[in-house]
Amino acid sequence: MNDPVLRTRGLAKVYRADGVAAEAIRGVDIEVGAGEFVAIMGPSGSGKSTLLHVLGGLEPATRGEIWLRGQRVERLSTAAWAILRRRHVGFVFQSFNLLSNMTVADNVELPALLAGASPKQARKRREELLGELGLTAKAHAAPSRLSGGEQQRVALARALANEPSLLLADEPTGNLDSIGARDVLRLLQRTHDNGQAILLVSHDARVASRADRVIHLFDGMVADDAPVIRAPRPVRDVVGDVLELRG
Amino acid sequence: MRGTIRWARADLRARRGQALLTIGAVAGVVAALVLATMLLEGAVNPWKALFARTHGADMVMYLAHGTDPEALDHLPRIRQVGVPYYTAPATLEQQAVKSPVQLVAMGPRLPQMSTPIVVAGSWLRGGDADGVVVEASFAAAVHAGLDDQIRVQSVDADVVLMKIIGIADTADQGFYPQWTPGLIWVQQAALNRVEPIAAEQEEVVGLRLTSTSPQVEGEVAQNINDTYQSYTGRLVIERFSTAAQVEASMASNDRLVGLLLAVFGIIALVAAPCAIANVTAGRVLMYRQDIAMLKALGFTPGQVIRMLVGTQMLLGIVGACLGVLAARVVTAPAFVRPPAGSAVGLAPLPGWWVTLIAAGVVATVAVATLIPAWWAGRVSPVAAVRVTPPRGHLSRIARLGLLVHLPAPLVLGARDSLNRRLPALLTVFGVAIPLVVITIALSCWSTIDGFKGDPARIGLAATLNVTGPSAAGVHDSDRAQVEAAFPADSFPTLVPGGNGTFTALAIGDSAGSRRYPFHVVQGSMYDSPQQAVAGQGFLDLTGLSVGEWVTVSIEGRNVTVRIVGRVLDPVDNGDVLAFGRDALTKQGIGPQPPQYYSVELRPGVSAAAAKARLSRNGLSVTEVANPADSLGVVRVVIVVSVVVLAVIALANLLTATAIGLRDHRHETGVLAAIGLTPRQVMTTLVVNTTILTLIGVAGGLVAGLVVAPRLINMQGRSSGLGAEIYAGPSALMVAFVVCISVFVATSAAVLLARRTMSGFMRNERWLHEPELATG
Repeated sequence: MNDPVLRTRGLAKVYRADGVAAEAIRGVDIEVGAGEFVAIMGPSGSGKSTLLHVLGGLEPATRGEIWLRGQRVERLSTAAWAILRRRHVGFVFQSFNLLSNMTVADNVELPALLAGASPKQARKRREELLGELGLTAKAHAAPSRLSGGEQQRVALARALANEPSLLLADEPTGNLDSIGARDVLRLLQRTHDNGQAILLVSHDARVASRADRVIHLFDGMVADDAPVIRAPRPVRDVVGDVLELRG
Repeated sequence: MRGTIRWARADLRARRGQALLTIGAVAGVVAALVLATMLLEGAVNPWKALFARTHGADMVMYLAHGTDPEALDHLPRIRQVGVPYYTAPATLEQQAVKSPVQLVAMGPRLPQMSTPIVVAGSWLRGGDADGVVVEASFAAAVHAGLDDQIRVQSVDADVVLMKIIGIADTADQGFYPQWTPGLIWVQQAALNRVEPIAAEQEEVVGLRLTSTSPQVEGEVAQNINDTYQSYTGRLVIERFSTAAQVEASMASNDRLVGLLLAVFGIIALVAAPCAIANVTAGRVLMYRQDIAMLKALGFTPGQVIRMLVGTQMLLGIVGACLGVLAARVVTAPAFVRPPAGSAVGLAPLPGWWVTLIAAGVVATVAVATLIPAWWAGRVSPVAAVRVTPPRGHLSRIARLGLLVHLPAPLVLGARDSLNRRLPALLTVFGVAIPLVVITIALSCWSTIDGFKGDPARIGLAATLNVTGPSAAGVHDSDRAQVEAAFPADSFPTLVPGGNGTFTALAIGDSAGSRRYPFHVVQGSMYDSPQQAVAGQGFLDLTGLSVGEWVTVSIEGRNVTVRIVGRVLDPVDNGDVLAFGRDALTKQGIGPQPPQYYSVELRPGVSAAAAKARLSRNGLSVTEVANPADSLGVVRVVIVVSVVVLAVIALANLLTATAIGLRDHRHETGVLAAIGLTPRQVMTTLVVNTTILTLIGVAGGLVAGLVVAPRLINMQGRSSGLGAEIYAGPSALMVAFVVCISVFVATSAAVLLARRTMSGFMRNERWLHEPELATG
């Protein structure tokens, strides 16, 4: 594997409410290589989303280490995390979370502007991204005027605006119909092909099957971490091949 | 920075209404403050306003006739020398009444310095040699109007007829009759007819100085005398007056106006930040998810705080500029013309003072925004994705309500309004704070109304003071108008111990039907020559209290009386000790004819009409100043304040309603699913807002009604007029405020709820029929 873009050691997150502690993730060790596409699966309450939030610095870790691009980051301040996110980490959420008061174009340009790009550069990047995603015509529309699939594509464009080395996607197809989901997965695949690492959380095995590797979480711990082995295209003419089993 | 600006711009565009309301609130507060300060200045010192508007002279020199003023141009410390003019004393004859006047000769062109401001009619005209212009306060005092023929008698008793063609204001002298004589502008030819001997005419020249300290003025006068003496061999200055002297004689001592306006200024400065903090907190609550998303995208807490404070400050600056502009426009001479016969006007405030007010308000906005902005900076980015539903449970009362079949929307709406504590608090305070101030403002209004409607309540039973040979018979001669006439003498008297002066007022008898009807608010009325009543100002001045004995020296004799009561008396800020005239007689002072008669009119008789009629009988009549007259300016501030506060309350209400609706968006579907019709769901939303508004309105009104009497009576006390001046707003007015507030709140809630519901219905269709949106 290449140098990992993300690595954790003994990562844990404990929530405390009314004096009761609940461990959402317990000693997770994972690695995501540069340009690798990793899916995290697991039942509801297994800690998938919490893990993603902690890895992106949306929530502080309780214990353990997080290494991002070779830098230890779990003890960074809120502001330092924010700066790290705007440069190296893209986020895509299940419920799109587009900024309601901004147009599609503004939503996509905002991260670039935030990272210090000039308005001209930000506009150029936005035009490229929306062009790739087939949303040029909707650039000046309000997010609420878009369908779910379109909103998620805009959210993806926003996450990719600064060409982050790591894209964190939390159930990106969870709220979409099959057509919308297919479009989004295609885009994720294209991002992966561009050499950006993706860490994706999903319930859906079909979505996870697109990844290079699938990590299974159970009760906040890694239960399984295995690469996805894709079967070679079956030879249609040979009946016996249908019954071939692989280990 | 660019990202911050982009978001702030989009945010302002998206929330135009809210932004406009904030701008409106700030503009209103700034305008109210500027206006209050200007009015305060105008009310306390109307002359100063006039001085600024007429480009008054710093010094007015009365020189010997024929003095060439050219030499003045070269003297140090003199900035500008006015065009010289001539003046002569004369007497205005009106039937039996004679008033001393000063005739001032001017040309048809208005002078550049000490420019009279024509408030009615026109200025002197070339072709109209008999046309004269009369100074406004003098014209009002002698009931002279436009086109009236007047008889002017010279010192040698020659009578010249003139016609009034204009009324004008000037700052070269104070208002008549405090600063006598009356002033009449005439043409030089007319002056020559009244005073044919040129040497008897005084030459007057106005000067503007580089500095107006008494030392400089003295130095200038000395220089002028020295200079002219060196080549004419005589002293040329016959007398001179300075602007400072006139100002000192004109400064009003109306502490009540000052106090009331100051209170409104402070209230505005307190209420506005509360309201703006409330609106900002509401915005943070409402857009918590967007703020969290910004942080997830890489906004640092500092950037979020700066962005919110910056946006609000920008709105504040725009509002402050508009406020200054609005104050300028409404006080422009085109809008505010002093009423004919009154010289009171508004002087523009100095630029630095306006800047200070505007900057102060913008700074207050920034400080008020800091707390909610800091709060926004602490919003966790996870809030963008993890929406925690509002917590709460169905209380026993709510269960009981449902059990007894109260309408479900009512029960659920009431429950909602009390369950979400922070938004509920914001709403209640957002409505209550402006309501407290509105109630105080209305109480001030009703108190002023009380002064006007029932002057006897504040010790002004008598509205006219009459002097003249036939004054003693004023009651008998005009019983239709005059209820009673009380002989009165007032003596400026030294306070025992000598640390101030007060007015000793001997009026009417100490008992019986000729006892003056004072309004006693503490203790009792005097009923023997050994007893007296006092105003709050006198008690404060002497440190005495009701029940104590006091000895005062009147006309060189000691008069000892026991203060048996405290009365409300606005005269001399309450520095009054009053007793019957027989208290003086008992001490051997008098009997003598009284200085004047205090005339109490019959109910419904207008003081102005009675004054006009009595004046025609040859009596000299003056109206007793009612504080309500000078408090009129406070009414303007009250109206502006109430409008601003209503806007602020509305802004708070809209924010609160929007927050409530946002919280309900997630529940709307659930309520519909458990069987509530869309109309019932809407009613739930409306009930929620209405209940909170009612609590806010009730809380605000109660707090206002508790605070207002204390505040107003405190002001009465510190102004010397005395406590117990408060007159509360009528029940009708209170009911009106409640109804209007609830009506506006409910209407706003209904409108917003309808919009939410129609949005929800569209979404529902969209969720179930995705092809509608995608196809």
